[in-house]
Amino acid sequence: MIRRFGLRTRLLVVFALVTALGATAAAWSSAGTASIALVDSTQRRLTETTVNQITAHTPELIYPPDQAALDRLRAAVGGDTAVVYKNLRSADGTDVGLITDALRDAVRARNRLVAQRITANDKPWLLTGTPIMITALDGARTPSGIEVYSVHDLSGVEQQISDLTRSAAVTSALALPLAAILALVAAGSVLRPVRKLRDTARRLAAGDLDARSQPQGADELAELTVTINEMAESVQTSMAAMQRMQADARRFAADVSHELRTPLSTLTAVMEVLEGAADRMDADAKESAQLAITETGRLVQLVEDLMEVSRFDAGTAHLRVEQVDVAGAVRDCLRARGWLDRVDLVAPDAITVPLDRRRLDVIVANLVGNALRHGRPPVRVRLSASAEQVRITVSDHGPGLPEHVLPHVFDRFYKADAARTRTPGSGLGLAIALENARLHGGDLMAGNVAGGARFVLLLPRDLEETS
Amino acid sequence: MAAILLIEDDPLVRRGLQLALARHGHDVRTAETGEDGLREFHSATPDLVVLDLMLPGIDGIEVCRRIRQAGTAPVVMLTARGDDFDIVGGLAAGADDYVVKPVQPTVLDARIRAVLRRGNGVTDGVRAHRDLRIDTVALTVTLHGEQVMLTPTELRLLLTLSRAPGRVFSRQQLLEEVWEHDYLGDSRLVDNCVQRLRAKIEASPASPEYVQTVRGFGYRFGPV
Amino acid sequence: MNRIWLVLAAVLLVGCGVQPSGVTDGGEAPTGLAPGVTLYFVDADEQLTPEPRPSQRLGTIEDALSLLMSGTSNSPLHTEIRASSVPRVNVTRSPGLIQLDVPLSIYEVTPLGIDQIVCTALAVHVQSGGPRDTRVQVRFTLPTAESAKLRTCPLIKAS
Repeated sequence: MIRRFGLRTRLLVVFALVTALGATAAAWSSAGTASIALVDSTQRRLTETTVNQITAHTPELIYPPDQAALDRLRAAVGGDTAVVYKNLRSADGTDVGLITDALRDAVRARNRLVAQRITANDKPWLLTGTPIMITALDGARTPSGIEVYSVHDLSGVEQQISDLTRSAAVTSALALPLAAILALVAAGSVLRPVRKLRDTARRLAAGDLDARSQPQGADELAELTVTINEMAESVQTSMAAMQRMQADARRFAADVSHELRTPLSTLTAVMEVLEGAADRMDADAKESAQLAITETGRLVQLVEDLMEVSRFDAGTAHLRVEQVDVAGAVRDCLRARGWLDRVDLVAPDAITVPLDRRRLDVIVANLVGNALRHGRPPVRVRLSASAEQVRITVSDHGPGLPEHVLPHVFDRFYKADAARTRTPGSGLGLAIALENARLHGGDLMAGNVAGGARFVLLLPRDLEETS
Repeated sequence: MAAILLIEDDPLVRRGLQLALARHGHDVRTAETGEDGLREFHSATPDLVVLDLMLPGIDGIEVCRRIRQAGTAPVVMLTARGDDFDIVGGLAAGADDYVVKPVQPTVLDARIRAVLRRGNGVTDGVRAHRDLRIDTVALTVTLHGEQVMLTPTELRLLLTLSRAPGRVFSRQQLLEEVWEHDYLGDSRLVDNCVQRLRAKIEASPASPEYVQTVRGFGYRFGPV
Repeated sequence: MNRIWLVLAAVLLVGCGVQPSGVTDGGEAPTGLAPGVTLYFVDADEQLTPEPRPSQRLGTIEDALSLLMSGTSNSPLHTEIRASSVPRVNVTRSPGLIQLDVPLSIYEVTPLGIDQIVCTALAVHVQSGGPRDTRVQVRFTLPTAESAKLRTCPLIKAS
């Protein structure tokens, strides 16, 4: 359950708990040891006193004793004492009634001095009992039949012990705030490097591959820090290598396209000459000339699209922003390609937005061209505007986009199926359209509606005019 | 139909374009380098120069600048598309129009003809505005009585604007009327030509009197 | 976690004052009780012989030696200590040693007479709980080497 709190809180609680527990245990156990020692020494002192008093008196004691002798012995021992010999008994004090049968039995069975602690009337007591022995000349000891029982009040000792306990409690209480401070310091020293590591990891995750933390000391955290640094280093190295390779590949594509342009310029220039001469050729040569002309045109388109893509990749694509009447621009685009009578254009007048006219033309031409080629009429282009953005929707009534194609529709050279490889177009059209939309700070989305595919182009209205 | 000088370093492109333009009825001379081109330009005095910007030796932009200094012969640039640096430099150096390689000869021919077309059928006599006189028949312009040498494009722009003084022409309209471009024409052509025109006819190009800017819309002819 | 609570409970219990206990051993019981004292005399065969005197109590070493020097009560036994006008003996007890300052010179007592004094003193000492290997030093009034000897009683063996 403690896992619900932060590492700092957990460290703090555990550390304070352990420290306080330790202090308490130490204080209490020392108090406990002291009180045990106190009880023991008190007990020893009392029994020794009793033995000494008896021993001092025995040489003068008449044996077998009479009542008077027992009384004298009892007086010599003093306190709450009872002296017993056969039927004779001498007792003083009310507390001698506390003597237990267990003690009496032990005195008779063991022939030694015995002691017992009891609690009675809410007070602790020490009971002692001993026989007095007769020693023969050969050292043999036999009980004389005289037994001495004493009752000692231990309240004073208990008072001392409770004083000790109280001071132990006070010590423990004093240790608690000290433990909290220590815990704070320790938690801080552990958590500071952890927090630094966390910040570093966050920066790494955010893409700042230069982020490192300085390892401190030689503990596990320092090792972890070193490991994370190494990880960042190797990620950075491979990222750099990857970026270099990517840049090389892009530059290669751009260079290839560029180099293709010169021969294509020649081809384009002479194709018209060839076309003009085609009428005078025989059928095969004429068809061949037509094929060469068509394919040259496709090649030109492909190279131009590649160049365009290269510019996006290299980040050299720039907007030429001017105030554009969107409806007019879309209409111009359709008219220029002879699509006006095949497309149902729904556009409110006078939506003037700052954008790049040429790039809008590229997007709209691509979307409408696709709709006319792959979908079925009626193809509809719908324009609408809100305060923030302009929305251009191009929809058709064809079969729509297959579900598995949707995520890849903007991929470069993506062909939905092998049969379509010979359709006109470079395979870069939608990729370029999306890049153009993004260059405007807008977006292009593909989807299906009931009865056809639908592309939605969103362009912001607050683009900064640069020219 | 017109005497054209084609300056292009690649021999195959040069030959291809020469063949294609010849079929459109032009008399095409060619040059391989900027130096050769300038020599040819001075000796043959072509009606128009088609100039590749990527040249060994002195580059296309410098060649364009020297041709502009030498006279009013229009220049059409050949450029790699999207190489905006080239386009901006070429237009600033005084090119009248540009086409992007690979170019279809039909398109190039249309541009050439548009650039060369003068007067545009507007022959209503002499228009006088303060110190500026525009003779729409003789196709001459004088300022303070001195003739101003204008390229065909500059002249045509001035004629178009001055046909309706005070009327605002958008860049789009001017591109279609003067350059005969379609709706995707490059408005920088207009801006650069306006600057060149102002340099020639305005007393202070920074605060123009005749060719005025209407911010956010386009240009109009003054004074009104 | 349970172990922590056990330790905690144990720690708390220890501090709770004087705990009752069962019957525990407190050491040797006191002794020193006797129906009378034992004196040592010499019989006709010159043998050391104990003679119990039923005095109802053990008494001290001083008491016993005073009785001894007062002579026998029974005829078959005799003493080899010359009767003294002041039958008073000073007794000094230290661990393992009893020193007796007797009002006699070495010439007023035979070796058996010294044994009588040593045995009588040691018998009281043993009966009042003292160890049996305790040595006895008898110091005489006139200087003599006998005063320095540490003696034992031939009838009371050390173990």
